[in-house]
Amino acid sequence: MPEAVPVDPHTGHQSDHHTHTGRGPGRLVVALYGLLALAATGRSVLQIVEYFDRAPVSYLLSALAALIYVVATVGLARGDRLWVRVASVAIVIELVGVLLVGALSYAAPDWFPDKTVWSHFGQGYGYVPLVLPVLGLLWIRRSRRLRSAPIG
Amino acid sequence: MLAPLTVSLLVASGVLGLVAAHHLVRRRLVDDPLILIGAGIELGLLVQLVYGISQSGAIVDGSERATFVAYLFTVLVILPAAIFIAIKEKTQWAMAVVLGGAVVVAVLLARIQQIWALNA
Repeated sequence: MPEAVPVDPHTGHQSDHHTHTGRGPGRLVVALYGLLALAATGRSVLQIVEYFDRAPVSYLLSALAALIYVVATVGLARGDRLWVRVASVAIVIELVGVLLVGALSYAAPDWFPDKTVWSHFGQGYGYVPLVLPVLGLLWIRRSRRLRSAPIG
Repeated sequence: MLAPLTVSLLVASGVLGLVAAHHLVRRRLVDDPLILIGAGIELGLLVQLVYGISQSGAIVDGSERATFVAYLFTVLVILPAAIFIAIKEKTQWAMAVVLGGAVVVAVLLARIQQIWALNA
């Protein structure tokens, strides 16, 4: 993929630096999403391959969560209009998922005999799954605002 | 697991974190020392992978053993990914990503050690 944006030879800054969701601080957001995508994918593959029968619903949910994290990571890293929209949808699903599954895992623990990324609001992952979608949506909003604002 | 290897790897990721923090404050980007430390850690992680897999039979519980092996592989991916992202970024955020990567490697090393200590 060629970089469409010219780079300032003195600062190395790209001119869309502050509006692209995958640049500047966005690198850290993308890295965090990538990490969670990796963790969730790893866990769900392990659960499905090793002991699927124990709690199929939990494990399918883990796989779904993993897929959504992968989509969000790719979307934020690509950072063009379409991909950012895709990422926003993925992140909203993620936020709803973590809130819903988090609440249900307390209200009806027997529905989830084994843990998913989202159970207990992402407790097993240091609550990163709860914090990250909020961070992601704020980050996308900031990028959008700066993009629509005049430069300078 | 090999205690000397685990300790050296933890120290090395601490050093990488410190260098990244230093570069972050000094507004420096990815340079050779940083990459060399990262490469050194990766070498150690490869040794840990081979040794860990060869010893993984000692973990009786099947799912714990699978998790152990999965972590041995996962920890290898973190630094190359972090440094790849950092090379493309030309601001201080590059070093924030490397610093984060060093922390994640240290956490995973601790998890690997924990699974080993509890199950083998």
